[in-house]
Amino acid sequence: MTTATLTGRRPYRRRSLGLVAHQVRYEQLSFWRNPQSAIFTFVFPVLFVVIMGALFGSVGKSSYFGGLSALQYYIPTIAALCVLGSCYGQLAVVLAARRQNGVLKRIRATPLPAWTYFIGLLAHCVLVSVADIALIVGVGRLYGVPFPSYWAAITLTLVLGAASFCALGVAVASVISNAEAAPAVAQLVLFPLLFLSGTYMPIHSQLLNQVAGWLPVRPFNEALTGPLARHTGADWRHLAVLAAWGVIGALVAVRRFRWDPRPE
Amino acid sequence: MHPELTLTEAAAPAATHSNSDAITVTGLRKSYGSVQAVRDVGFRVRSGEIVALLGPNGAGKTTTLEILEGFRARDGGAVAVLGLDPGDKAAVRELRERTGLVLQDIAVEPYLTVRETIARQAGYYRAPRSVPEVIGLVGLAGLERRKVRSLSGGQKRRLDLALGLIGDPELLYLDEPTTGFDPAARRGAWDLVRELRATGTTILLTTHDMAEAQALADRVVLLNNGAVVAEGPPARLGGRDNERARISFTLPPGVPVADLPVPADIQNGAVVIESADPTGELHRLTRWAVQRDIALSGLTVDRPSLEDVYLRLTGGGAPSGAAERSPR
Repeated sequence: MTTATLTGRRPYRRRSLGLVAHQVRYEQLSFWRNPQSAIFTFVFPVLFVVIMGALFGSVGKSSYFGGLSALQYYIPTIAALCVLGSCYGQLAVVLAARRQNGVLKRIRATPLPAWTYFIGLLAHCVLVSVADIALIVGVGRLYGVPFPSYWAAITLTLVLGAASFCALGVAVASVISNAEAAPAVAQLVLFPLLFLSGTYMPIHSQLLNQVAGWLPVRPFNEALTGPLARHTGADWRHLAVLAAWGVIGALVAVRRFRWDPRPE
Repeated sequence: MHPELTLTEAAAPAATHSNSDAITVTGLRKSYGSVQAVRDVGFRVRSGEIVALLGPNGAGKTTTLEILEGFRARDGGAVAVLGLDPGDKAAVRELRERTGLVLQDIAVEPYLTVRETIARQAGYYRAPRSVPEVIGLVGLAGLERRKVRSLSGGQKRRLDLALGLIGDPELLYLDEPTTGFDPAARRGAWDLVRELRATGTTILLTTHDMAEAQALADRVVLLNNGAVVAEGPPARLGGRDNERARISFTLPPGVPVADLPVPADIQNGAVVIESADPTGELHRLTRWAVQRDIALSGLTVDRPSLEDVYLRLTGGGAPSGAAERSPR
């Protein structure tokens, strides 16, 4: 038995990166061919920025938008929305559905390591988010918003945000047992949170901002607004709150995640 | 019931694993809360055999299978699958390299093509079969580029089977593999299973279809209430082969039962003769009929079917002919 495990282990390690790429490839194929995910997750944020640009493109900096122009305000919050949609929303819905129809159990029955499966999912979600955000920043440029310059801070914030919201998405998929309920529950949690966090309009209530500051979405908005619109570096305080939510999500996910549609 | 069978087969020293055993199970126990799903299951599957797990719903088949597959932890007993313990986290990966399984649910992603679905699964194994070979084996040739969502139910199940085969497993679990197949597709699946056995694959399957167990299995393990109640080749299960044959026909008009040359009963309007010597008794009977120029309409000779034995041993169903005639 030991020899079999030892001889078997080497190729796994050599192949792990290739295996992640293999996973990402098929996740991408599934994603782009599903009109629902492609349109709602990917196209909607871009459309939102196009419309906002058409409405407010010529409006200059104002105190209502915290000293930014309307588009400068919306590009980071909608970028955050992209990550929420492609990481949190997508995973909550897709994993609940895959568990219910037995796809997860079938994957569990193969030698594919669980961590490879999840790293593949994370990489897939990051790819979708990055493509979406690039489009949004590009649309912003067309409306005259200058390109950001703090790329390292943007990358760090995006990866941390994507990882945290992926973890929260897996956590929600773990807690929901019924796949039909997953989209509704995921949206029900998200929608008020988006409004409260200033995604769609700036919030000028100190109390609300303080409350939202401890929830996951507003810190992410703030952490992206710095490098994307205010030309500042990484926003450590908000990143720390975001990371804490990521850890909570990961803990729930690790403790509660089930591959089997009919748990004991 | 049939203590000689359960004793010799089930309680044999299965724990001592030999190289010719693909699976050995002894004293397996598993409860869900206060429900004892599996109380004492023991059996073995030799390498290269096809074994069918039979039993009514709730008999413990699925739980047993899921423990063997490493999906569930057992409460007690010993299990060895290909020499590995499926309850041992360190062994599970190696076990999954070498086993394949086809579950009852159709579990395939809708937006990939047939070829993509199989190629993705192939990437998970050390030494997979070739994708075109497996597509041919399960009879999906020509549908490689079709999206999974446009396949029929039967085609999806064949795709599922392809996913179970792609890793070139030594041991294959098939959970009700032909449920929902039309008769031709079912025959095709049986041929495939026999073909796999011919290449050395060991197969453990569950089924509710007695014809399937009879046609495919080298041996049958019958579960009821979480325990093995009989085990053996389908032709001999529950002492089937030793039971008396049963000759039956419609009583010719105007002939009293007492005139028949052999002792007989009337059951449901038909003459029934239970016989330990069917050759001799049939000869006496037909000679008698030919001499008197009487036709014995509906003449049949049979033994209790696998289904009769199944129903008797699991205590299910309406009393069958087999149950009626035993206390005679």
